[in-house]
Amino acid sequence: MSVDANVETTSALPSEGGLAASVGRAVFEAIDSASQIYGVLVRTLYYVARARIDRDAVIRQMYEIGNRSVFLLSVVIGFIGMIFVLQAGLQMQRVIPDLTMLGASFLELLVRDLAPSIVALMLATRVGAGIAAEIGSMVVTEQVDALRMCGADPVDYLVKPRFLASLIMTTMLTLWSGAVSVGSGMVTAEVIFQVSPRTFWNLHLVHASDLATGLTKCIAYGAAIPIVSSHCGLSTFGGSEGVGSATTRAVVQSSLAVIVLNFIISSAAFIAFK
Amino acid sequence: MSKMFSPIIAAREGLFSLAGTLGKMGIIAHQIGRRLFRLDFDHEEFWRNMYKMGVKSLPIVALTALFTGATMVVQAAPIVQRYGAQQLLGWGAGFGILREVGPVLTALMISGRVGANNTAELGTMTVTEQIDALRALAIDPIAFLIVPRFVAIVLTLFLSTLYADAVALIGAAYAGQALVGVDPSTFYNGLTSGYMGIADVTNGLIKSIIFGIAMGLASCHFGLAVSGGAPGVGRAVNATVVASAAGIFVVDYFVSFILG
Repeated sequence: MSVDANVETTSALPSEGGLAASVGRAVFEAIDSASQIYGVLVRTLYYVARARIDRDAVIRQMYEIGNRSVFLLSVVIGFIGMIFVLQAGLQMQRVIPDLTMLGASFLELLVRDLAPSIVALMLATRVGAGIAAEIGSMVVTEQVDALRMCGADPVDYLVKPRFLASLIMTTMLTLWSGAVSVGSGMVTAEVIFQVSPRTFWNLHLVHASDLATGLTKCIAYGAAIPIVSSHCGLSTFGGSEGVGSATTRAVVQSSLAVIVLNFIISSAAFIAFK
Repeated sequence: MSKMFSPIIAAREGLFSLAGTLGKMGIIAHQIGRRLFRLDFDHEEFWRNMYKMGVKSLPIVALTALFTGATMVVQAAPIVQRYGAQQLLGWGAGFGILREVGPVLTALMISGRVGANNTAELGTMTVTEQIDALRALAIDPIAFLIVPRFVAIVLTLFLSTLYADAVALIGAAYAGQALVGVDPSTFYNGLTSGYMGIADVTNGLIKSIIFGIAMGLASCHFGLAVSGGAPGVGRAVNATVVASAAGIFVVDYFVSFILG
């Protein structure tokens, strides 16, 4: 039986070329899709600057992206606050027995990284999948071709409202999530480590540079998620199975975009504000 | 009047549907466990899924881990500069990577790639009545389809986490050299000495197994529960991704709390 399994697995490997060929193919595909994503971004920015903005569409997308994510985000970020305080407290006890700086370092990291990045990862899964599925099913049912026939660019009509809504809502949701996780972290610190809320709420380590880094991240993630997932949706092919794979690709690629952007912005901020 | 009570009704309905989903996942878990105990599942399907889920996810896991490790160093760097202790970098970054960030981010990526794909596949089979066809041929769909996929998801996540931990630590070591000026050997010393122990590694790996079980159950349940044709498959994929992501963080807290 295991021999049969081996035959099965090897037959699924890329048929021609060796390791170098498959690595090269992957690199070329990555460059190709990166340049296409860049194209979608440029066209979106062009239409934002030059064309009329459909307010109703933007508000509908804001509801879809923002209001409908609030519950999921509150649950996730609430638990993140508890996990972070628990783990950081346990570690600090090993090194420095003094826990008065627990709240200060939590707030610093929350503003600089935790709140925007966790919110963006959650939005990449929820909103990214939604955008790709919606636009992807429009592509396979030829509604996007119908738009083109009417002289409307799908980037103007479909991507632009999602882009603007996501830019606004990512920032809003980050603010809300920050508040929720401060609350849950405060309760955890009080219950488990007996750190009073007054000691916990210590903004000594939060500088303007941290705030600037956090806001830059919000804007970068808010722009990247709709652009990457719209690109995945627009490049759907092959019926309803294609929509499924476009959705998966959107989730993976937009999460990856968030992680890479996080590294770039964090290290740029570290070098700039050192 | 009825509008005033709608939040309560909505909350009650949400609670009922959550309880229903958890109950159905429990039933699937029981069915999987019984067949797993007797080793009654399709081995060929298992290896095929291991290749499709595990091997094919390696590049994305490696890329995620590399950047995550590097980011952890950037976040830990101010602590190093504040206390002037270079040995603390290995501890600060390594602890975070091994216990939290490695398992959680790998699980999120695997849930996006593998869990969602698995739901889409099972969902398409359900709406095209292929699962009913299996039953009509007296083939047990749980043993033939679900158990191999479930085991493959759990194993994939466990092995990917192991791999991601290693790659993330390498990424962290070289990012530390490039950005903070801490020699990789100092970084590795910080990892192995004093404050860190094998418990930090096993802690993360135990988490990855539990995440895998939660993700596999969610993915298989939502795939089998699809109704309403192709749009239903899309909704199921979305539900899987969201449920896995929320489940990972909720489970993470309780596991961290219990393991200490």
